[in-house]
Amino acid sequence: MKDLKVGVSGINAVDNPGPGVGVAKSLKEWNKDIRIVGLAYDAMEPGVYMKWLIEKSYLMPYPSQGADTYIDRLFYIKETYGLDAVISTLDAELPLYIEYAERLKEGGIANFLPTKEQFRLRSKERLPEVAEKIGVKTPKTFAVIDYKGLAEALNEIGYPAMVKGLFYKAYKVYSYQEAVEKFNLIAAEWGYPILVQQVVNGEEINLVGLGDGEGGHFGFLNIKKLWITQLGKTWTAVTIKNQKMIEAAENFVSTFKWRGGFELECIYTPEGELYLIEINPRFPAWVYFATGSGINLPARLLMAALGEEPPRDWDYEVGKLYIRFTDDFVTDMGIFQRISTLGEV
Amino acid sequence: MDRLKRLALNEEGFAFDPETGQSFVVNQTGLFILKKLREGLSEEEIIRALTEEFEVDENTARRDFYDFLEQLRILGILEKGAEEVK
Repeated sequence: MKDLKVGVSGINAVDNPGPGVGVAKSLKEWNKDIRIVGLAYDAMEPGVYMKWLIEKSYLMPYPSQGADTYIDRLFYIKETYGLDAVISTLDAELPLYIEYAERLKEGGIANFLPTKEQFRLRSKERLPEVAEKIGVKTPKTFAVIDYKGLAEALNEIGYPAMVKGLFYKAYKVYSYQEAVEKFNLIAAEWGYPILVQQVVNGEEINLVGLGDGEGGHFGFLNIKKLWITQLGKTWTAVTIKNQKMIEAAENFVSTFKWRGGFELECIYTPEGELYLIEINPRFPAWVYFATGSGINLPARLLMAALGEEPPRDWDYEVGKLYIRFTDDFVTDMGIFQRISTLGEV
Repeated sequence: MDRLKRLALNEEGFAFDPETGQSFVVNQTGLFILKKLREGLSEEEIIRALTEEFEVDENTARRDFYDFLEQLRILGILEKGAEEVK
């Protein structure tokens, strides 16, 4: 286990933080001898400079530049520095890692990822099907591609309604004019279809988990966000135990034999009904909350990737509080120079 | 009554619902009423207990008690319109 080198992406600990720093902290808490290899997409990602946590960092090509370039870069890291496993945490790169999971494994880069079919379940168009299979509801949703469809969907749903992109962005709208404005905004940035969704009133609750790929799991943590930023990012949260949500998560991993990290987002109504609103096929940015509550999900994922049997206990205390805060430090210009010119530091 | 029973309540009047993560703060009078409701006392018993504990007349206690019940309903702690207390 000594000298184990683990690549972690999403080390952009900025106002829209990736999960990488939380994953790195979790791995170090499990085994301080692990060396974290930061996989960055920008020279300014703060994780590159956090040398006490991430010893070595590399600039990665964007997945859109082609799979070969990306995979070659990973094997370059393996040959020149060492890379025993990778924990991918970003939506945009996941399809590539999933596609090449076997090739990476054969080349000595371990991983523990959902399958292609599992990854497709995250699509908001598939939500009703997933919800039905795991025994929860889902808000009434229409996928539309033009103003006519938008108007028809809004007639059916009424106001307020949610106007959403297939993967990103969501706005609550109170009139047709507002709906058209958001429809155009999302279409311009993310394309079609646009989803029009019923607003369900209740408490938004979330759950992070790690499926074992055989229908079981290596732990869950159920939370309620107490404070989110304008970008919708979790800054304060509390652990809860909502039996309906925990049962839904158990059904989710057993029905789909989910492998790897995931997050479920639900609305719990005052009537005690649970609506599934989103599935994320990776750890959320607040994954360190699980570690801090005694369930080190990133370390368990790494164990599973390396072929070890991770613990399955996941008892945690209700009422634990998660606080994210901003911090700063001063370092040398040399790090910026090296990552910018050499692409590694 | 289920939700009322599962609330984690401390002596300072901080209440936390472990199923939804909602929390709120009540004053000492509110805390007194919440405890009595959880003990299963009837409305009249609680109103009488309020007059004894806080040295107020029955009308004041009754008005404050029903005001507080309404707030609990708004928060979803008591079911709306349901006859929660005996």
